[in-house]
Amino acid sequence: MNWIWFHKLGSPKWFFQWANKWSKFAFVLGALMLLTGVIWGLGFAPADYQQGNSFRIIYIHVPTAILAQSCYLGLGVAGLVSLVWRMKMAPVFIKAVAPLGAIMALIALISGAIWGKPTWGAWWVWDARLTSVLILFLLYMGVIAIQNSLDDMQLADKAVAVISVVGLINLPIIKYSVEWWNTLHQPATFTVTAKPAMPMEMWLPLLLSTVGMYGFIAGVAMWRMQTEVLVREHRSNWVKKEVLDNGI
Amino acid sequence: MTYSSFFYSEILAIFRRKQDAVNALVFFLLVITLFPLGVSPSREFLQPAAGGIIWCAVALAVLMSVEGMFKEDYNDGSLEQLVVSGLYLPILVLLKLGVHWLAVMLPLLTLTPVLSQMLFINWEILWVLILTLIIGSPALFLIGTIGAALTVSLRRGAVLMLLIILPFYLPVIIFATGAIGAAQVGQPYNGQLALLAAISLMTLTLSPIMAAVSIKASVN
Repeated sequence: MNWIWFHKLGSPKWFFQWANKWSKFAFVLGALMLLTGVIWGLGFAPADYQQGNSFRIIYIHVPTAILAQSCYLGLGVAGLVSLVWRMKMAPVFIKAVAPLGAIMALIALISGAIWGKPTWGAWWVWDARLTSVLILFLLYMGVIAIQNSLDDMQLADKAVAVISVVGLINLPIIKYSVEWWNTLHQPATFTVTAKPAMPMEMWLPLLLSTVGMYGFIAGVAMWRMQTEVLVREHRSNWVKKEVLDNGI
Repeated sequence: MTYSSFFYSEILAIFRRKQDAVNALVFFLLVITLFPLGVSPSREFLQPAAGGIIWCAVALAVLMSVEGMFKEDYNDGSLEQLVVSGLYLPILVLLKLGVHWLAVMLPLLTLTPVLSQMLFINWEILWVLILTLIIGSPALFLIGTIGAALTVSLRRGAVLMLLIILPFYLPVIIFATGAIGAAQVGQPYNGQLALLAAISLMTLTLSPIMAAVSIKASVN
């Protein structure tokens, strides 16, 4: 497979033009899938025999929880790329995605608490998985905090890259905490290897809303990165031309 | 400058600036005092909670002492000299950290038996506690160094550093208190100790390099 298109994305100019083409596509497709998945899940999927209708919050909870982890994985990889190859776009990616991940983690926590009340009888339980999502949220806040407090842009980029790479160690702990401590939370919903434990009518909308959430976040992230590129490259000729020709 | 002369000067510097180590120790004592006063001084509460209380206090005290580790060197410019000295920066960080670890942990370990009496810890459990402190505290110092190196250029970096680094301390605290808890109910605790040692070794490989990267970015 030809990977040149990927290397080209390391250049801000190429990325900007590439994102111009793809961000709307990802956003619209993602939003449509997300909407379809959520409406299908909330309105038409069968009720759970044990949890009744309260399980339906899964169509918000699981996509956001998965995205919260995926965003951090992306942050860690981007941090590594930034430290090792010093690609220009990696810090831009971190800066753009960290707040998105934090929001995802927060939504996962809140929806989890709302779901926990009817099923477990408590808003919050100190279960391993809940706690690790809380830690994930705190890690995001740490990344955002250090990004905002360091005025020197190069130092800030380095700092968030270091913190992201170090934080990547936390991801496997989150993922495997269910198996390690296995307390109250149900096991992972998606597994690649095993057959889904829920019927197709429940599982399909969940898949749809999760994939949709990926597209949605990808679109938003691309827009945020484009904005950041414009700010960082405001001296270069292509940005001047871009702004003069197409407006902002 | 050689590695040994740097090591020697670090020992001298920390010996002449005893206040830093004393501060960490007093802070440690203070945090521990909060728990009997704030929750309950009864044996029923303190005895099972003692391991957790001591470990939380240690984590905070270590963070506090590590935070200022590069500050002085940054302000007087000797941190830049370390970067351009031609010596391998991660090794220098490791030497500095080793001296710091001894200066903070030795007094803290000698204080632990006294404190554990105040928190009603049995003598058999005390050994487990000290073992977890010896095995686990290097991880605290090593992770903390990264935060200290990142925030060294900030005037008010302490809160920020606390914010960034404290989440990374949680696994260490979990396994350390897990080992103490297992020992208290008479179960084997080798597993938790091994995990603690694993975390310490992993941070030993990773964090001097990360701290060196951060220092280089900070002094530029």
